[in-house]
Amino acid sequence: MIALDAWRAQARAWLASVAPRFGKEAARGLAPEAHLALGRAYQRAKFEAGFAGINWAPEWHGQGLTPLHKVVFEEEEMPFGMPMGYFGVSLGISVPVVMQMAQDRDWARERVLAALRGDEIWCQLFSEPSGGSDLAGLRTRAEPDGNQWRLNGQKLWTTWAQHSDYGVIVARHDPALPKHKGLTYFWLDMHAPGVTVRPFRLATGDAHVNEVFLDEVRIDDTQRLSPVGGGFAAAMATLMIERYSAADPAGFGPPLEAFVALARVRTIGGRPALDDGRIRSVIARTYAMRSGLDAIRTRAMRMMEAGMEPGPEGALSKLVSVRSRQRLSELAIDLSGALGLAWDQGAWVKDDWVQSWLSAPTMRIAGGADEMLLNTIAERILGLPQDHRPDKGIAFRDVPV
Amino acid sequence: MSILLGEDQVAFGAAAGRLVAARCDTAGLLGLLEPAGRDDRAFWAAAVADGWSAIVVPPAYGGLGLGLVELGQVAQAAGAAPVGMPWLAPGAIVARALLRGDDRAAAQAWLPRLAAGERAALAFAEGCEALPGTPEVRWRQGALRGDKHGVVGGLAAAVALVWAGDGTGPVLALAELDGSVARRGIDSFDNSRLPADLAFGGTAAQVLASGEAAHDLARELMAAWAVVLAFEQLGGAEALLWRARDYAVTRRAFGQPIGAFQSVKHRIAELYGLVEIARANCLHAAACDGTAEFARAAAAARLSATEAYDTAARDCVQVHGGLGTTWEGGLHLHMRRARSLAAECGNTLRWEDWLVDAIAGIAL
Ligand SMILES: Cc1cc2nc3c(=O)[nH]c(=O)nc-3n(C[C@H](O)[C@H](O)[C@H](O)COP(=O)(O)OP(=O)(O)OC[C@H]3O[C@@H](n4cnc5c(N)ncnc54)[C@H](O)[C@@H]3O)c2cc1C
Repeated sequence: MIALDAWRAQARAWLASVAPRFGKEAARGLAPEAHLALGRAYQRAKFEAGFAGINWAPEWHGQGLTPLHKVVFEEEEMPFGMPMGYFGVSLGISVPVVMQMAQDRDWARERVLAALRGDEIWCQLFSEPSGGSDLAGLRTRAEPDGNQWRLNGQKLWTTWAQHSDYGVIVARHDPALPKHKGLTYFWLDMHAPGVTVRPFRLATGDAHVNEVFLDEVRIDDTQRLSPVGGGFAAAMATLMIERYSAADPAGFGPPLEAFVALARVRTIGGRPALDDGRIRSVIARTYAMRSGLDAIRTRAMRMMEAGMEPGPEGALSKLVSVRSRQRLSELAIDLSGALGLAWDQGAWVKDDWVQSWLSAPTMRIAGGADEMLLNTIAERILGLPQDHRPDKGIAFRDVPV
Repeated sequence: MSILLGEDQVAFGAAAGRLVAARCDTAGLLGLLEPAGRDDRAFWAAAVADGWSAIVVPPAYGGLGLGLVELGQVAQAAGAAPVGMPWLAPGAIVARALLRGDDRAAAQAWLPRLAAGERAALAFAEGCEALPGTPEVRWRQGALRGDKHGVVGGLAAAVALVWAGDGTGPVLALAELDGSVARRGIDSFDNSRLPADLAFGGTAAQVLASGEAAHDLARELMAAWAVVLAFEQLGGAEALLWRARDYAVTRRAFGQPIGAFQSVKHRIAELYGLVEIARANCLHAAACDGTAEFARAAAAARLSATEAYDTAARDCVQVHGGLGTTWEGGLHLHMRRARSLAAECGNTLRWEDWLVDAIAGIAL
């Protein structure tokens, strides 16, 4: 197997070679369809160059390398701003689940290949209008009908559903059971009759999330991905797949160097901002925090290299880094005074403070809200008790609404 | 750079933890708080017997020849108590100065004594400045004159490394603290640190470095000192994190453990975050000793460990309710130590500035 250093060098060289075609400058200002086409072309190029499905087995069209190789590639890829967003959920969450749990293995192998080549996109239909944090409280029904199921209900927040060919979905097959027990996990053809997808815009103006309506959608029992009633456990396993992905101490926003550069050219009352104690304090503390996260990340990589399971402290990264990004972005805009009002809507999030600030709130919610992450740390790592839960142990249909 | 601790290093830390657990108890530590001028001499003797004072001294001088990583493991164990003596960090930093300075004779004379547990102090600060640009204390014709303030261990140290001026620039000078030094003890909130003002009255001292070299060495020593203290702070913060957690799962109110209330639960989870960030920074700094990154890494360790320990002291007391505020409960031992460690070796404000200087110098 290729050594990590060599792999990193290979990745970097390839990324640099395709950056003119796919990098953030190439993507700038493209209309949505053209941008999607660019994204698919990039995914195809990755696949052909051997940088897709990095840690998947060769029989699943993968490269057969380790999760560490995948993380290294992602780290190298991050600074280029490649159009890879379309495939985050698809290849990061949904397709691995299908790979693990689909009943028809040959069909699954075809889907995996199509997804790796960027030809097909998968979405994840978990959250609903009634709640996202409380995943097990979902209401979409799956009613048995011969060897089929009928789906009725509504999903919300489904990333890239409008471009998706398939989705993975959790639905309630039995409201008479307690909430965690009454859920079952399926895959779904997004073009099936009865599926309606409606994109809506977020605060930044872009529309990558959707409402998905399910009206008498018929699916086959072969589309079931979990045992009947095993949907919650399977959903939790899905979320664990994401464990091995690149963390960013900058919270996927601009690096601290960019803030220092800004402070160099801004003044406060005629004095250089970089000499101002308040600004210096923020720089120092942000640096200290981010260097800590960086050391946690490096340690986790070393452990994986040594064949050990990384410690649980990796769970801190998103919580801590994104909060910090939000505040630093606010301050960067403030630092610019009236100059801070301008917003280049096409700018890349790691290059632009306004973009970073406007999109930070979604990062603090999606993939586990801050409060839920704190609960997870408290309960799983520190062994603190669960919150009081009035819906525990009773039939779902008896839970007060 | 970043490291995974080796088995030996883990074992080293564990042994230190056992010594601390066997020899330090709350009642004993409380007894050292009020009378100014007493520290836990018996503990230091036991720690010396276990090699604490020999860690960074090379074998040729009777030491173990280990580094900041091992020293850090021990400091962390000491911080968890928190132990009632201040000798670990200053001794190691004076040894470091001797190893890096120009004076081989001084190294030969002092390193074996330091390895054997000689009590040392670092006399850098004057007034509120941790490392004054032009120190008032003067070194002339082999002797020191003038006042140093808030010297940790100053009441009982046998030797001190002194930041002074020779009229043309700074010097770092090593002085045996003999009868020519007047020691004025400071009645402090954390008396077992033995803080004192030292008035040098013509005290004989050997210069280890002068001019630009003295400045660079002093900054380098401050960084190493900060890393050792950061490990002590980490040890204290971690101990408080688990005490808060243990209390939160046992103490009940309104029919449930208080740890089920999110304001308690999330406070402890946030504390976990601060502790882990501090730990990562401490290990990283210790591992990159000797590299160009050391100054930044040390500052980051210092800032994050100070924040972790201060926050832990506040929040752990809060989680304990009224019980957190009693004399006997002893949480104030940590509250006090969090502040004394934060004040020793340059305050947070100074370290923020040093860090920004280091970042802005290299960032772009
Ligand atoms: C940009 C974006 C993309 C997304 N993509 C997808 C996707 O592709 N597929 C998908 O299924 N979902 C997706 N989501 C949904 C996301 O998972 C949910 O938004 C998230 O889980 C929070 O759920 P909610 O929005 O219903 O908020 P709620 O769960 O209603 O939470 C509201 C507030 O209450 C707090 N809260 C809730 N429960 C607790 C508790 N027990 N203790 C303390 N505080 C609590 C939350 O932290 C939050 O602050 C996406 C969301 C966003 C913003």
